[in-house]
Amino acid sequence: MALSYTGKHEARPDIQMAQATGSLSAVTETRQVPRASKIAPDSRIRLLEASRRFTVRGQEFSAIEGFDLTVRQGEFVALVGPSGCGKSTVLNMIAGIVEPSSGTVLYDGVPLNGLNRNVGYMTQKDTLLPWRNVADNVGIALELKCRKVSAAERARRVAEIVERVGLKGFEKAFPGQLSGGMRKRVALARTLVYEPETLLMDEPFGALDAQLRLLMLDLLQKLTRAQGSTVIFVTHDLGEAITLADRVVVFSARPGRIKASRAVELERPRDVFKLRFSKYFAGLHEELWEQLKDEVSKGTDA
Amino acid sequence: MKGNGGLGLTHFRKRHTSAWWRVDTVPIFVWQAAVGLGFFLLWHVASIVAGVEWISSPALVAGKLAGWLASGEIYSHLFTTIAEIAAGMAIGVPLAVIAGLVLGQVPTLSRLLRPLILVLYSIPLIALVPLFIMLFGIDLQPKIVLVAVVVFFLIFFNTLSGSEKVDPDLISLMHIMGSLPREIFLKVVAPACAAWIMSGIQIALPYALVAAVTAEMLASRAGLGFVIKQAAAQVNMSSFYAAIVLVTALGVVLNQLAMKLDIWVLRWRHVSG
Repeated sequence: MALSYTGKHEARPDIQMAQATGSLSAVTETRQVPRASKIAPDSRIRLLEASRRFTVRGQEFSAIEGFDLTVRQGEFVALVGPSGCGKSTVLNMIAGIVEPSSGTVLYDGVPLNGLNRNVGYMTQKDTLLPWRNVADNVGIALELKCRKVSAAERARRVAEIVERVGLKGFEKAFPGQLSGGMRKRVALARTLVYEPETLLMDEPFGALDAQLRLLMLDLLQKLTRAQGSTVIFVTHDLGEAITLADRVVVFSARPGRIKASRAVELERPRDVFKLRFSKYFAGLHEELWEQLKDEVSKGTDA
Repeated sequence: MKGNGGLGLTHFRKRHTSAWWRVDTVPIFVWQAAVGLGFFLLWHVASIVAGVEWISSPALVAGKLAGWLASGEIYSHLFTTIAEIAAGMAIGVPLAVIAGLVLGQVPTLSRLLRPLILVLYSIPLIALVPLFIMLFGIDLQPKIVLVAVVVFFLIFFNTLSGSEKVDPDLISLMHIMGSLPREIFLKVVAPACAAWIMSGIQIALPYALVAAVTAEMLASRAGLGFVIKQAAAQVNMSSFYAAIVLVTALGVVLNQLAMKLDIWVLRWRHVSG
């Protein structure tokens, strides 16, 4: 996009016009989509014309507008888009932290009411409890009354997942003693130990270096496929999205809508280290990047 | 909390060559002891020059202390003061911690009560001692109440700040995991405030000592404050300074205990990274 200083102000109304028209057609289309009553039995999560508007300093703006998304049980969906396009808002709505301003969020066909207790949530910030050692951080969900297990059972499950994420020997260490990568492993183990049906991940490995991130993607793929979890993975990294997901959803710039949705037809388990050199990967990457790049420049323009 | 003995002398090492009298070749505690000895020496010389009438002398004060400890007459006073501080803390600390944690988590209640608490905090608490004496007599109770009230405010405000500043991400994470409010309170809010509570206790202890001794000086039949007041009334300066030394020693011991407790409670902070 040509964004000369003078052109910027003239270009913006055009973008808004284009988006407004887009939204109208999107809405008309979704009206024909089957309603909640006709949902396929394996659809775990549905967002129907969900919108979320915020007011900042008296000015109202939409994070997402007329948003539709269906995620099947056991599916791994990656949400990609420019920053501020409402990806995190979608996760927060599925978690029940944020209510849609209009529209509906269905979980297993039932409209969400309050917090969604079937999900595990992992963010870029690792939110470990610094006063608890690794084992006690990992096991905290199993201490809660809602899924209380015996101390012996908890110790067994913690030991198992700690070993699987490669933290054996560090059970007694405190978060302050661990590296960033190890802290991520603890956070991942803590999220997986109670086997939530659905994992919501908001750029969980964003702060890690490239090599460490690949290791974590490999680990995440193995663990979530073994547990059969439904995963919604937000990232701004298209490569990460293609590597992990069954389906990549590209967001438009704010207000966020689905711009493109592509299935990734790659066998599992995938080799996260070599996948990026394959022809299929390159082709899909280019195709999706074509969709994404305009939105990225719009995102930075706004 | 680490390296209490270190006074940032490391940069001297670069500039000075080693010689036996340099600060870096002699352990710091030797120098600290030397400063202490210098103080007593100065006091001793001053007592010779100016006479012992007002400033007594190190030897007289030491003799007095030795006499008290040998005859055992001081122990009941010492234990009275310790008991007042211990009982006052035992009442004031839990109340302050609970009030601070709860108000930090209930912003509406906090906003409602904050002006009242600030006004109460502004009352010079020592001025309430006559009231406490009228209500509770002149034995331990009024001192215990005063210590409790003094430490309550100091620890309450610290705990409140901590409770208000608990990372909301930790709390929403626990919500998503299915925590009950009670579980979040016990597993996240309270431990997150531990550092604030501990520093509140460390701030409050010297004030607790001052409160107990001052209240004893106002009206009592026992305690180190009573000893100080008696000595001053009789212009017995050796006894006066000996009692001051005991109060100071008690303050140092309390401070050390608070530091030990802090290191134990916050041991996750003190592990080498």
